[in-house]
Parts: sequence; C-alpha cells; structure tokens
Amino acid sequence: MQLQLDNLVPIPLRDKILQRTSEIWNQAVTFTPGSFVKIKAPSGTGKTTLVHYLYNIRNDYTGKVLVDGQPWNTYTKDQIARMRQQQVSVVFQDLRIFEQLTAQENIELKRVMLPHPYCTAEKVTEMAARLNVSHIMHQSGKTLSYGERQRIAIIRALVQPFEWLVMDEPFSHLDDENAQKAADLIAEECRARKAGFILTDLDHDNRFAYDTHFNL
Amino acid sequence: MKQSFFGLLKKIIQTGIGKGRLLMATTGLGIAMFLLLLSIQMHTDFDQLLYNQQNQNESVDFLVINKKITNDMMGQSEKSEFTPQEIADIKKQPFTAAFGFITANQYKVTAAAPGDLHFYTEMFFEAVPDTFIDVKSEDWKWQAGDNTIPIILPNDFLNLYNFGYALSQGLPQISQETIKALPMKITISKGLLTQEFTGRIVGFSDRISSFLVPGSFMDWANGKFGNGLTPAPSRVIIKTKDPSNPVLVKYLEEKGYSTNQDKLKYSKTKVIVQTIVSVIGFFGVILLLFALLVFSMFIQVVIASCKREIQLLVTLGTAPRQLQRYLMRQFVPLYIFTAIISLVVITIVQWKAAGILAGMNMFVSSWISPATGGAALLVIVLVYIVNLRSVKRYINEIS
Repeated sequence: MQLQLDNLVPIPLRDKILQRTSEIWNQAVTFTPGSFVKIKAPSGTGKTTLVHYLYNIRNDYTGKVLVDGQPWNTYTKDQIARMRQQQVSVVFQDLRIFEQLTAQENIELKRVMLPHPYCTAEKVTEMAARLNVSHIMHQSGKTLSYGERQRIAIIRALVQPFEWLVMDEPFSHLDDENAQKAADLIAEECRARKAGFILTDLDHDNRFAYDTHFNL
Repeated sequence: MKQSFFGLLKKIIQTGIGKGRLLMATTGLGIAMFLLLLSIQMHTDFDQLLYNQQNQNESVDFLVINKKITNDMMGQSEKSEFTPQEIADIKKQPFTAAFGFITANQYKVTAAAPGDLHFYTEMFFEAVPDTFIDVKSEDWKWQAGDNTIPIILPNDFLNLYNFGYALSQGLPQISQETIKALPMKITISKGLLTQEFTGRIVGFSDRISSFLVPGSFMDWANGKFGNGLTPAPSRVIIKTKDPSNPVLVKYLEEKGYSTNQDKLKYSKTKVIVQTIVSVIGFFGVILLLFALLVFSMFIQVVIASCKREIQLLVTLGTAPRQLQRYLMRQFVPLYIFTAIISLVVITIVQWKAAGILAGMNMFVSSWISPATGGAALLVIVLVYIVNLRSVKRYINEIS
C-alpha cells in the first residue's frame, strides 16, 4: 500500500503553515512502502492532525492524501474498514482504550475483528510479557495508568496484519527502558510483516533505525 | 480466555438503555402480528365455510334462478324455459362462479309408501350437478343396474307435511330418521314401458326446493323413458361469491328472473363478518406500523447512546456491516420468538374454533392456513427490512 501526500494543507492551520516551510505540508511526499519514517514536529504544528489525515478520520484539508494513488474519499466505508483491519494500523496519541473492557479485551477486540485472527492469543500474552503489562491484563480499562494504556494500545495495533503502522507519540508516557522495549517489539513486528511505519514525535530519538526523517 | 467479537461488542454497545422501548415494540409487534394473522385466518375460515363442499346448510352462495311465471305465460311452459343465449349470458356474468342446469324428468313418476301406509302419489324428479347439492351422503350415487334410487327431499317439504298437513289431518308427524328408513316404491313409466325401483331418502336440502335424484340416474332414465330430446331447462342454479352483489340483483331484476330472496338477505351476515375481519386486519396493520416506529426509535436511542463507542469501533476498523450484523442479531430472535408465539396462539384459537364450529355442523380446518403462516413470514421479513434500514441509516450517520 502506497501512501502519498499531494499539497496537503490543514484548513485550520493554513495561515500558520504557509508562513513557514515544512517538509510535509504543502509538498508532494511519497512514503516508500516498508520504510521506517520519523516525522519530527514541535507542538502545535499539526502532528496529530497529520496522523488523523493519514488514517482518514479527519478530512478538513486542501490537497490530497493518496492511498494506492486514490484519494481517501474515493473509498467506501467498507473498503476503509477492510484497510484498517488488514493494511494500516494505528496508535493514537490519546490511546482510545475502551474503558468498559479489560486491557486484555481491548486487545482481543482488535484481534478477533478479523474472522481469522492474524496472531494467536499466546502471541498476545507474549507481547504483554515483553512490555511488562501481564499483571494488568485483567484490569478494566478505566483503572489503567497512561503508561499502561499506551502499551496496551501498542499491542492492540500489533495484533493485526498491516503494511503501514501510524503512531502518534507512542512512547510519550513511557520511561526510556519501557519505551525501548516497545520500540524493539514494534520494529520486530514491522519487519515480520515487511511493513513500514510513520511515527510522529516532538524530539529527536534513536530508538529505531529510521530510513527517513521529516520535519513537519 | 477466548471471546468472540460479538461477545466483546455486547460489552461495548449496551442495548439495555432502551429496554422499555424494546419491550413495547416487541409487545406491539406481537399484538399486531396476532391481529393480522387472526384476520387472515378468519378470512380463510370464512371462505372455507362458504366454498368447502363439506359444509352443509350453507346456501348463501347458491342461487336457483327461474323466470317469473306471469299471467301471460300461463299455459305456455316453453316461455319459462331458458334459451341457449340466455344461458350463455348468465354463464358469462362476472358473478357466476359456477353454473348448473336443473334437469327435469321426461317420464311419469309415481311413489308409493311400503306396507299398508296407503300412500300413493304422482311426483317428479330433478337432477343437478353434485357440486351444487348441500347434502353430503355416502349413498348419493347411482349406476345403471342399481335398483335403489337415492332421493333428496326439500327440507321445506317435510316441514309442510309435519306442521301443516299432519297436524291438521290428525296424521303422525314423521322424523327425518324415519323417512330415511322408509323404502318407497318408485315406479317410472312412459306409455307401456314401466320399471320399479326402491327409493331411499338420503337427505334434506335447504338449497334446492325439488325432489332430487343423482344425475346419472336422470340421464339413464331420460334416455330410456324420455323423448330423446334434450329439454331446455326452466330452472338453473348458479354459484356466486357474493349474492348481495348489486350487479347480480340488478341483472336478475332486469331479466325478469327470480330467485329465493331470503338467500340474498342471508348474505348480509357475510358482509358483516368481512367488515369485522377487515377492521381487525386494519388495526393489525396500524399497530404493526406503530411497532415498526417504536423499533426504529429504539434503534436510534441505542445507537445514539453508544455513539462514541461505535465511532471508536469504526476507527479501529470495525466494518459498518459488522455493526449492522451485530445489532440485527439482537433483534431477529425477538421477531422469530414473537412470530412463533403469535402462530401458536392462532393455532390454539383455530383448533378451538374448529371444534366449536364442528359442533354446529360447520367444518373448517383445525390447522391454520398456509396463508396465515406465509403472512407471519412476510411480517418478519418486513420488520427485518425496516429495522435493517434504520440500523444502516443511524450507523452511517455517525460513522
């Protein structure tokens, strides 16, 4: 799946963005499939907005986000759902965990959304162990800390097949040690799928062997 | 711990919020379905009562038609005969569902009571197609060589005898059973040719005021004793769906035909029953519409109350189709349950009604008609489609 941006400009940030230069906004950008992409962005430059555009949950922009050469709005809801189940996965900055479900159910929901789950329940247990969240798997989403939610959201994003993983500050609530563990797991899972990711963050980091860097 | 996707959805999309509405909608649907099915079943039953050959004493839809005998016609019996054109005209009228001749005898008939009852009379026979006869009897058959002729008498005839003649002449009144048990000596003749038969009364007709013998006998006897010509009938019988049909009444008046006016009067009952059936069906339909409306409101409330959850589910990749299927799965068992309950109740009602009617010599099937079952299925499909549409609409609005 190829992701391209064609003169993409968010309408709410239009004036601010046109006053400065950006390597993403108002440019023609092609994300090479399978590559690890880091987009560094100071606060308020539209980092989360970009993630939402890439994942097609917002469309208040001019220009285009092209998926396999077609703008998002040419795809039907069912086609988009299929892509979200099989081709593109996401870790939101605000994590979006169901509070009425346990940590484990939150992951399971995504895993069994496909009639033939991509990974086994044992694999989930293994990933939870690697990210040090095994002990909270049966707690309700409501009682989880942000750090715990963040790791659950990461595991949830990794239980499905994907070609692109879009992450918005995925380690913002984790200490360095846990962040590195999560990064290693993500890199491993991406390589297993021959998938790429697009990660946005505030600062520079060396947690991944990035192929491409952009400044937003 | 393994959980199904729908099992997890159940924890997220709480349908409990509209439980009152759901109960209301289901109850409404149940009553609506019951009324609809009841009206359809009643309609079928009534049709059965009217048209089923098993049902005796139901003369509403059979009319014996003859020309009015006026002073001008007296002495000219051919004037009371129907011409082939007139017969063709009656046959092609829209109210004529079936048409039959009443065939008269072309020979002399005398009847004598057995033993020393000293009863002797000249009489006549007529025959009509069996489907027009309201008496059902095993003995109602005759074939060449049989010495016994089954005969059907008009009920009025027995009444005239019992309550008019017998009382005034000091003669014993006779029950139907006694008459049926009495063999009559029937002699038919033409000139010197005579043959004797035993006549047995097998039933009493309310529909046709005549002495009826089986058509097979009439054909045989007219062939053997008659003049060889097919006589023009002076009485015909028609089967009609609605004797109170104004077109029919007008037609008879215009042509100067007459029939039993009383039968036209009976048909009012039918109109009343049909009105009641229609009213019940109408209320059923109205109630069904309300039930559909409440269902739709319930769906709207459930989806609105889980708007955030549904949006997040869609964001995570749940297909709108998966959500629709999940929500419909909450409802479909309700429809099927409601339909089954309604069908069971209707079946019980039908079974009881058939029993009660059978006690009154009216026969309807003790099972519900296929139309009723079909209607239940149709209602389920209708409710399913309407609900699927609301689910689709509201899901689409928020996803």
